[in-house]
Amino acid sequence: MSHKWGMVIDLDRCTGCEACVVACHAENNIGTAGPDQASRGRAKHWIRVERYWEGEFPNARVRFQPVLCQQCDDAPCEPVCPTYASYHTPEGLNAQVYNRCIGTRFCANACPYEVRFLNFYNPQWDKPLHLQLNPDVSVRSVGIMEKCTFCVQRIRAAEIQAESEKRELKDGEFNPACVQSCAPKAMVFGDLNDPNSEVSRLARSNRATKLLAELGTKPSISYLQQDSWQNGKNG
Amino acid sequence: MAKTAEQIRTDLLRPLFYSGPGYWLAVAVTGSMVLAGVFAFGYQVYHGLGVWGLDWPVFWAFDITNFVFWIGISHAGTLISAILRLANAGWRRPVTRCAEAITVFALSIGAIIPICHLGRPWLFYWLVPYPSERHIWPNFRSPLLWDFFAILTYLTGSSLFLLLPIIPDAAAARDLAHGWRKKLYGILSLGWQGNPKQWHRLESAMHIMAIAIIPVAVSVHTIVSWDFAMTPVPGWHSTIFGPYFVVGAIFSGIAALILAMAFLRKFLHLEEYLQPIHFDHLGKLLLTFSLLWLYFTFAEHLTAWYGNDVSEMNVLWATIRGTFAPLFWIMVACNLIIPFPLLAIKKLRTITGTVIASITIVAGMWIERFLIIVPTLEHKFLPYAWGHYTPTWVEITLMVAGFGMMALLYLVFSKLVPMISMWELEAGVRKAPIIRRRAVSFEAAATAGAGVGQPEPLATDVRP
Amino acid sequence: MRALYALYSDPDAAQRAVNALKAGGNSLGIGERQIVVVTAEPFDGYDFSDEHSQTHIFLLASIGGICGAILGFWFTRFTQFSYPLNTGGMPIAPHWTNGIIIYEMTMLGAVLWTVATLLITGRLPHFGESLSDPDIWHGKILVGVTDPPERARPEIERQLRISGAAEIRSRS
Repeated sequence: MSHKWGMVIDLDRCTGCEACVVACHAENNIGTAGPDQASRGRAKHWIRVERYWEGEFPNARVRFQPVLCQQCDDAPCEPVCPTYASYHTPEGLNAQVYNRCIGTRFCANACPYEVRFLNFYNPQWDKPLHLQLNPDVSVRSVGIMEKCTFCVQRIRAAEIQAESEKRELKDGEFNPACVQSCAPKAMVFGDLNDPNSEVSRLARSNRATKLLAELGTKPSISYLQQDSWQNGKNG
Repeated sequence: MAKTAEQIRTDLLRPLFYSGPGYWLAVAVTGSMVLAGVFAFGYQVYHGLGVWGLDWPVFWAFDITNFVFWIGISHAGTLISAILRLANAGWRRPVTRCAEAITVFALSIGAIIPICHLGRPWLFYWLVPYPSERHIWPNFRSPLLWDFFAILTYLTGSSLFLLLPIIPDAAAARDLAHGWRKKLYGILSLGWQGNPKQWHRLESAMHIMAIAIIPVAVSVHTIVSWDFAMTPVPGWHSTIFGPYFVVGAIFSGIAALILAMAFLRKFLHLEEYLQPIHFDHLGKLLLTFSLLWLYFTFAEHLTAWYGNDVSEMNVLWATIRGTFAPLFWIMVACNLIIPFPLLAIKKLRTITGTVIASITIVAGMWIERFLIIVPTLEHKFLPYAWGHYTPTWVEITLMVAGFGMMALLYLVFSKLVPMISMWELEAGVRKAPIIRRRAVSFEAAATAGAGVGQPEPLATDVRP
Repeated sequence: MRALYALYSDPDAAQRAVNALKAGGNSLGIGERQIVVVTAEPFDGYDFSDEHSQTHIFLLASIGGICGAILGFWFTRFTQFSYPLNTGGMPIAPHWTNGIIIYEMTMLGAVLWTVATLLITGRLPHFGESLSDPDIWHGKILVGVTDPPERARPEIERQLRISGAAEIRSRS
């Protein structure tokens, strides 16, 4: 049976530590924008932790929400790409094919979650940081769009390994970098086609909602939260 | 009009053979604008799109504003040439070629912009459907591909629509010119003779093209609007965008046409051909479209405001009360408040009045395109992802180069081809007889031994 | 190409000249194709102009449109199925979006066939010799005979002159 990769993020566990952001940068060879470019809005955080403040001091509260590519089933970024650089794989991932991308940036404008990023310049790493680049992930040159891939290189590595060992993939056998690095274990990744996987079980929780579900994008990521500020309740 | 055919020819062919120093100065100025743009583009390709002001989340700004703007300007020719031709409005005759030229050049500039705005512009040809060694075709579900086909069709159609009526005028220039010009017009005229068969074929072809080009023009700007409307983001996902953009396009197109006509009238001394009545008629059309633009803008914003959707309201307030408020109200002033009295009051609807109105309208419509694109991109659904945009010198230079290119193409064109269609003007001057010249004279048939069905010498004719 | 022709300022006079030449066709030994009318603008409403007005251009333009539509339909479907990729859950060959491309190809087909018809039936481009005179650009209508038989030349001249020509010119 084919896989359908999905994720669950428990917002009641997320501390906003942003270890996932750092891990993603390291795993996926994301170029650091630098303070000047970052202040101009050019940072490429494939996963970002959004912070929203509620209330006034001394009753202020902050909510953290990690937002990454939702790998939507009906992704609005896919039909608009003229070169099929953005398309849907049979395993439910929204793939970004770097060498097809000519940088029209239509996908980024169509994405309601704002999780797509452009390489405004050729990325550079000061020596010796160039030695820590991940050889499993390509380095994107200027003009190419990029985004979270659910660490597809890890997915493929695990699938190839399992196939060569003539066995099925086990739930929790591998994780994307963000999930792996999450200290409070707020993030869970797995196969939504397997009803017994951790991610399927959590996705069935009554705390589960999807981000901007009303748009009909059918995201693959569920967010767990006891009470939603969108519902107007303050727990 | 008391002009003879000879006078018409002399007046309209004169610019082809004589150029003053003012002309060369204009060429130098616009040429430098274009060169600056080429330099800026080279700089952008070398360093990367980072030299623009784009950022996350505003990935389109000046580039697509200019694209939509120029495609919009290109709707001038279609309205004047095609619709007025089909409506048999005689006053269109001196105006058609200026209008068609605007269309072709604006469309060409508009077609180049999507190539220049790519992150990897050297790969623009991947948008072209051809059997590539990568074994992949472009994605026809993408509005950008619809843009490609629509602009291709419209550019082909309008170029032919411009070039076909030039053939007889080029033949005139060929016969009246010497030296290299004679050779040039000899080629341009395709060996046109001017026999009745050719005239009828030409007029039938123009008629069909006029019928065909109107739906194409409507579809082009509708498809351009769908670059925005096909996304689910607030402020863009609106069904009204198709007609809204088409109306705005024709609006800016008429304004551009008035400016071009005023320019030609002054510098090519065409005062007797482009008369105040033409500007009066166009001014009335412009007024109509100003009110239509108001209608669509009001409908668009009222629907957003009344619906009170959170994300839509963020975009709306940013546009009319927030950071973009100054631009928004300048746009309203430019598109409605200033032109309205100038165009509605007959005493003010002079050449000067329509020209002032047109300048403000062209500026206002550019701002309108900008305000459609950037506020939405700055304020999408997730507030953490809101951003800000400021243009850089590269984008401003490219924009200026676009205007320079338009002016330069027009200047060059006005030297190659008479800017007023001579044969159409003459054909309009001489009214066609209401009753066909067909007579039956039995004496002539009997004495001359005419063949069956041959036309006979004339009896009386009736001149209208 | 030799020719004998006259220039008329008045389209009625030109019509008379054409009628006279046609009436005397057999006796003068000139075929209809040798009678040439050249003008600097279209003269609708006159027989010398309108008798050539029958065209099939509308039919051909429609055929061109249909060809464009078929080409567009085949092209979009063929390319989409040859490399099927799922985008946004849409069908591989969505009718609505393909319809836009088909529509544009239809219009392009109609336009191109129209222009092709014009060029082919108008015999353009024509770089050989053709009868013309620069004075037509001053509003004159040229009516004449190409390759007139020698014995008929005086009679042709007479017919052209009595129709109202001020001047007869010839080319050899």
